[in-house]
Amino acid sequence: MSGSAASRGSALTGLRVQLRVLGALTLRELGTRFGRDNLGYLWLFVEPALLGGAIGAVHHLSGHGLPGGLHVATFWVMGYIPYYLLRGIINRAPVAIVSNQSLLYHRNISIFDIILARDLLEGAAVGGAMLAFALFFGMTAGEWPREPEKVVIGMLMMLGFSHGVAMLIAAGSVYTELFDRVVHLFTYISLPATGAFFMVFWLPTELQQAALWIPTVHMFEIVRNGQFGNQVPTHYDVGYVLGWVAGLNLLGMAAIRRARQDLVI
Amino acid sequence: MIRITDLCKVYKTHLGPKTVLNGLSAEFRHGEKVGILGRNGAGKTTLLRLISGVEGYTSGRIERRMSVSWPLGFAGAMHYSISGADNARFIARIYGKPLDWTVGFVEDFAELGEYYRLPVRTYSSGMMMRLGFALSLAVDFDCYLVDEVIAVGDSRFGERCRVALAERHANSTLLLVSHQVATVRAFCSSAAVLQDGRLTRYDDLDEAIAAYHAA
Repeated sequence: MSGSAASRGSALTGLRVQLRVLGALTLRELGTRFGRDNLGYLWLFVEPALLGGAIGAVHHLSGHGLPGGLHVATFWVMGYIPYYLLRGIINRAPVAIVSNQSLLYHRNISIFDIILARDLLEGAAVGGAMLAFALFFGMTAGEWPREPEKVVIGMLMMLGFSHGVAMLIAAGSVYTELFDRVVHLFTYISLPATGAFFMVFWLPTELQQAALWIPTVHMFEIVRNGQFGNQVPTHYDVGYVLGWVAGLNLLGMAAIRRARQDLVI
Repeated sequence: MIRITDLCKVYKTHLGPKTVLNGLSAEFRHGEKVGILGRNGAGKTTLLRLISGVEGYTSGRIERRMSVSWPLGFAGAMHYSISGADNARFIARIYGKPLDWTVGFVEDFAELGEYYRLPVRTYSSGMMMRLGFALSLAVDFDCYLVDEVIAVGDSRFGERCRVALAERHANSTLLLVSHQVATVRAFCSSAAVLQDGRLTRYDDLDEAIAAYHAA
C-alpha cells in the first residue's frame, strides 16, 4: 500500500518536473527564436501572417473564382496557415536535437520535452495567426467561421500529426544527415498532395478515394468545414486521422527513446 | 552513493565498434573526493558522461542514490545564444530554484562582469567554465563531476571552487577526472586509475599516483 502511494507521489512529482521543464524550454525557445530585437515576440505571429497574407492577396487580386463560390482569400489563407504549421514543424525537426544538445546535459530534460516545447510554440504562433485572420475575414468580408471548434480541432490534429512526424525525423537525424538534406525538398514537393489548396469534392470520384488515403487531406477538410460550414461539401474521417496521429506519436516516442541511447553528445 | 556494475560502452565509428569502457565496476560514497587518473583517450570524459546520464551505455548498470551534477567542463549544460543571466534563469526554472537568488548567486560566483548580460557565445573558454561551475553550485548537487577544468581555469577561481566544494564537504561528493597528478592532489583524498576500460580504486593517494605512473 505504501508502495503504491509512493509511486503515485513520484509520478506526480515527475509530472510537476516535466511541466516545469516544458515551461522553461518554451520560454527559452521563445527567447532564442525571436530574440529581443525589433518586433521581438511579435514575429511569432507576424511571420506566418505575412506569408499567409501574401498568398491570400495574390489570389484575391488574380480574380479566379472557386467552385461553390467560396471567398477566395479566405480559402487560400485557411489552407496555407495549417500547411505552414506542418511545414514549419517538419522542416525544423532535423536540427531539433543538434541545436539543443547542450541542454541534454540536464538529466531531467528529455528529447521529448525539447521537441514538444518547440512544436507547442510553433502551434501557438500559427494558432495566433489563424485567429487574427479569422477575425480579419470576419470583419472585412463577413466570412466568420461557421463552426470555429472544427477549425480548432483541425489545427490540433495537424499539430499532433506534425509532432509525431517531427519526432521520427529528429530521431532519424541522430543516425544520418539524410533527413536534413531531403526534408525541405519533401515538404516542398508534397505541397500539392497535402490537400492545402484543393478540396476533395473538386476531384473525380476515383481520385477522391486516393486523396482520402492522405491523412493531411482530412485535416484541411475539417478546417474548411469549420470555416465554410455546409456551403460546400467536405470529406473527412476523424477516426482515420486520430489513428494516424496516435500511431505516429507512439512510433515517434519509441524512436526518440532509442535515439537517446545512441546519441553521442 | 553511486554504484556502477559491469559498465560497458561501445561507440560505433566509421572504423567499426570501439570499446571505451569494458566491464567497469566502482562505488562512490557520500562525501568522498575521488580523483580519476587516466591517460588521454583512456575514457575519463566518457565515464563522467555516463555517470551523469548525459550519454547512454551499452551494457551494465549505474545506480545513483544522490543527485549528480552534469559533467563540468568547457562545453554543455548551457545555451550559447542567450546570456549568462538568462542561462541562470533557465537553470533555476529547470531545477526549481528561486529565480532572483540564482541569478544573483551565479553573478557573484562567476565574476563575469558585464559579460553576464551578453550571449554566452561571446565568452572565453575560461568564462564559460566559470559560468558552468557557478550554475552547478547554484543547483546544489550532492555529487559534482568535474572534468579537468578547475586546473585549466585561472588559479584564483580554482581556489574558490575548491573552497566552495570543501564548504559542503560533509555531504558533497567530488569525482574529478584528470591526467595531471597535481590537480588530483589538490582536490582529492583518494584516487583511482582508469586503464583498459576498467577502474582500479586505491585508498591511498600516493599508491594511486604510483600505479598511474607505472601504467
